[in-house]
Amino acid sequence: MSPLLDMREVRGGYGDADILQGVSLNVAPGEIVAIVGPNGAGKSTAMKAIFGLLHVRGGKITIDGKDITGLKPNLIVQAGVCYVPQVDNIFREMTVHENLEMGAFLRSGDQTRAYDRVYGLFPDLKERRKTLAGNLSGGQRQMVAMGRALMLDPKVLLLDEPTAGLSPRYMEQIFQICRDVRDDGVALLLVEQHAKQALAFSDRGYVLASGANRHEGTGAELLADREVAEMFLGG
Amino acid sequence: MEWIGLLNYAVFMAIFICIYGLLALGLNIQWGFTGLFNAGIAGFFAVGAYASAILTTPEAAGRIGGFDLPVPVGWAGAMVLAAAIAWPIGKICLRFRSDYLAIATIGVAEIIRLVVKSEDWLTNSARGVTNIPRPFGDLPYVQSQLAYLALVGGILLVVYLLVERQIAAPWGRMMRAIRDNELAARAMGKDVPFRRLEAFIFGAALMGLGGALFAHLNRAITPEAIDPMVATFLVWIMLILGGSGNNRGAILGVAVVWVIWSFSEILTDQFPPEIAIKAKYIRIFLIGLMLQLVLRFRPEGILPEPQRGVSGKKDL
Amino acid sequence: MEFLELLNFYIIPGLVLGSIYALGAVGITLVFAILRYAHLAHGDIATLGAFVAFAAVTLLGLPVYAALPVAMVVTAFAAVGIDKLFYDYLRERPRIVTVMASLGVALMVRSLVQVIWGVDAESYIRGIARPENWWGIRLKDREIVTILTMIGLVLALQLFLMKTKWGKAMRAMSDNPNLALLSGVDNGKVVFLTWLIVGGLCAASGFFLGLNTELKSMMGWQMLLPMFAAAILGGVGRIEGAVLGGLIVGVAEEVSVIFIPSEYKAAMAFVILLLMLLLRPTGLLRGKVL
Repeated sequence: MSPLLDMREVRGGYGDADILQGVSLNVAPGEIVAIVGPNGAGKSTAMKAIFGLLHVRGGKITIDGKDITGLKPNLIVQAGVCYVPQVDNIFREMTVHENLEMGAFLRSGDQTRAYDRVYGLFPDLKERRKTLAGNLSGGQRQMVAMGRALMLDPKVLLLDEPTAGLSPRYMEQIFQICRDVRDDGVALLLVEQHAKQALAFSDRGYVLASGANRHEGTGAELLADREVAEMFLGG
Repeated sequence: MEWIGLLNYAVFMAIFICIYGLLALGLNIQWGFTGLFNAGIAGFFAVGAYASAILTTPEAAGRIGGFDLPVPVGWAGAMVLAAAIAWPIGKICLRFRSDYLAIATIGVAEIIRLVVKSEDWLTNSARGVTNIPRPFGDLPYVQSQLAYLALVGGILLVVYLLVERQIAAPWGRMMRAIRDNELAARAMGKDVPFRRLEAFIFGAALMGLGGALFAHLNRAITPEAIDPMVATFLVWIMLILGGSGNNRGAILGVAVVWVIWSFSEILTDQFPPEIAIKAKYIRIFLIGLMLQLVLRFRPEGILPEPQRGVSGKKDL
Repeated sequence: MEFLELLNFYIIPGLVLGSIYALGAVGITLVFAILRYAHLAHGDIATLGAFVAFAAVTLLGLPVYAALPVAMVVTAFAAVGIDKLFYDYLRERPRIVTVMASLGVALMVRSLVQVIWGVDAESYIRGIARPENWWGIRLKDREIVTILTMIGLVLALQLFLMKTKWGKAMRAMSDNPNLALLSGVDNGKVVFLTWLIVGGLCAASGFFLGLNTELKSMMGWQMLLPMFAAAILGGVGRIEGAVLGGLIVGVAEEVSVIFIPSEYKAAMAFVILLLMLLLRPTGLLRGKVL
């Protein structure tokens, strides 16, 4: 199958220095793909490059064959990519429902189906739709963040360390939510600090180091790879 | 003799430029080097003026005083009192972004204005403090003016050299580091609030000294002599136009703005009284507009801050 | 002191003054929360609004209360214009530079008022208004209108912020600007709306100060400190907090006269401001701290 999201030989960074020295990766429809690697490998930076949040100086990023390299985030959203930042990814002072409304800000007309879909995926949120998002637990906040991103009906959802700072119990819950979202027809690309767990549950994975691809394969292959295990996974 | 009059006027302006120069250096320490927004310059100026006036004048009926102390003691007292008022304000506000300091200093200036206006026993209210001794005041007018100019010029030079030395020293590098990247400076173990407090107090003391020099020049100080908003704002536009972060720029800015300000006053005084009053406010409007234009078209000022960066950052 | 005396001479004037502060403080809190800087020209824009209403009364011959909406609309667009001319291009620079620009704007607006209307005190209505007596409580009509209009305007604003798409966008921008931008909110439009609202509220604040006391070119500048104290007391970003803060500061100023010389009434706001920064910088209702 041709890839949905395709990133080829992308170079770039925030200032003058290139943090990404040529990163290539792709995501096919219905896939969960994880990016892992040591600190400073450029994992989150690669994701921000896709979403137009840094200066891309080389390479090409396409979604469904359409070139989105260097576009502004709002145009990338319209092309079908949504992004959930690692921190500050909800409106704390607004209710759960209002967070979803902000997710659909660019849409006009009736959004009933979008709400039904998100509340269907996250029944917890439906119960708490009038609660201020800042008063929710960590896992629930992550649901709000993902729900907000899903309101625009993206083809690919980018998640930047969705389990950072969460307890193991919540981590499993977030992974389950990711599967549910995938089963709902959205491909996922996530950056993960918890490499072992992430590779175990993802369809495929990329190991980055020093801003470049180091290894790639299915989750099981990478977990079995001795070099990967030694280098990044702590044995 | 026309040229004597011109000379007198030039000397008079030069004295004022030196006094405002002290205020601008004080603000440069606070804003230019440390990033602290002081919107109450006139308040510290007034405190210095009254402190020195009260300390050095002979006894007067109806108000505290009669200390009759030597003039240098009065000036030292002016600096100490201005610093003492800056201390608690800085202590409370410097933990936050400078917006809070801006509001609090507006408040301080306002309270000081109220005290000066209404505390008869302390400041003699609207009648003000008179008979302030003036150094070299016994000389004939021209000589006396020139001697006072030499005195304030000397003080400005000494302060300038001291500030320049501090800025080139590790202290100055640290201050710039705090201003430019507070988090990094904090991470390196700098006590950021304390350093800021130092700069705020030091700047305020210089403003107090400026006030004292002004009071002794005029031999009297009244509440009308200090228009809080205009005085504060003039110093700001002087610093921004001259180049904040650059002491020479600050003094140049003082000279440029003061010359424009004084000559525009001479100009508007030629108008018939009806228009002259309006013209006064048009001048203030234009000084406000000038700030906007500088911020827009030359935010670094006439003399930008020298790039001390490369060598400075390395040995932090 | 008798209760009614306390009520009539201190509490009620305090609530009226507090309502005037509240209108200004709501604007300050909006600018603080959405644009993230302290707007020092706030008081002088209120002065402008008060004098625009004065022009509507004297030049157009409008009834006093009809001048209020006129002043609100004119001042709202004046505020938008000030933003476009003097603040907008500073958006990429450190926010404190905009604070400085706003100090300059304060001076410019005030001197403009002084050039056009002079420096003498003016009033909307000549003559003394006698208070009506309601079972011992003495209230003037204009005092009732001041308090009710403040409540009405604040409720309308709350409704706008809670129920409409762009009201929510403003809250989102205040809450998490990066995420709001990622969600596709147009920052320029939020800034425009904010100034429109803030300018209108400023005008209302100045109008009611002029109505209950008199119009002077320094009236707004002297309200700046109490308005900021009110916004910080209530908690930055909290509309209801700004109202509460405004009322507390207003009442505190009027009641303080019992204990301290009346010249120092204005110092109450400063004391409240410093105490809040010292003890609880987030304010009574847990607002933001910049």
